[in-house]
Amino acid sequence: MAISADSPEESRDLIRKAGLSYPLLSDGKAEAIRHYDLLCPGAGVDGRDIGGTAEFLLDPSGTVRWRSLNEANAEKFVEAAKTLN
Amino acid sequence: MNKKLWNWRLWAGFGASLLALLVYILLLQTTRSIFWGSLALFAVSAVLLISGLKRASAQPQVYRGKVAGPILTVLGVVALGVFGWGVYLAAKYFPAALHAPQVGQKAPEFVTVDSHGNSVALAQLLSTSMTNSSGAARTPKGVLLVFYRGYW
Repeated sequence: MAISADSPEESRDLIRKAGLSYPLLSDGKAEAIRHYDLLCPGAGVDGRDIGGTAEFLLDPSGTVRWRSLNEANAEKFVEAAKTLN
Repeated sequence: MNKKLWNWRLWAGFGASLLALLVYILLLQTTRSIFWGSLALFAVSAVLLISGLKRASAQPQVYRGKVAGPILTVLGVVALGVFGWGVYLAAKYFPAALHAPQVGQKAPEFVTVDSHGNSVALAQLLSTSMTNSSGAARTPKGVLLVFYRGYW
C-alpha cells in the first residue's frame, strides 16, 4: 500500500484518476513519515511537510526484508518479493 | 620583452571548482558523502586560485593572468554557489533517512487513515486475510509499504 501526506480526499482523487486498486493511506500530520525518518519539511507543492520516496517490503511479522530509498524501481522490488516465501 | 609565464594555478583552480561541481552532480545519487569530496576539491580550487592571483598581481611582468585571474575566480565562486544551492535542494527533497528501519529491523507501528476515512494500523494490514486469484482467503506473505511524495 502507498502512504503520503495527502488528505483522504486527495488520495481518492488519485485513485480515481490513476485507477489504483491498492489502499492509499493518508498520513496528514506526517507522523508515520517521521517514525520512518523520511520527513522533507516544506517540500510539498503547497509548502506542506511531505515524506521522501521510499519502499519497505515487510514480512508478516513486520520485519523489514528489503528497502529502497529515493528511487522507485519495480524490478528490484519484484526480485525481493520473490524471496518472501 | 620576455614572454610571460602561463599562470597555470588560475586555470587549475578554476578546473578544480568545475570538477567539484560536476562530481557532486554525477555521484549524488550513488553516495551522499560525495559532498565531502566536492568540498575538498573546492578547497583545493581556492588554494590554487588564491596562489595564482597573488602571482599575477605581485609579479605581473613574469606571470600572466591579471585579467583572467579575477574572472576565473568569480566563476569558481559561482560554481561554489551552485554547489551550495544543490546541497540545499538535496537536503530538502531527498532525506538521508538515517533512522529509517534497516533490513532485519521491525518496521515502526503506525495508525493512519485510508481514502474512505477509516482508521488503519500497520498491524491490521499485516494480518488481514485477502482473497487470492484462485478465490481462497490467505494472509499476505508480505506488505509493500510505499512512501510517496504526494499527488499534484
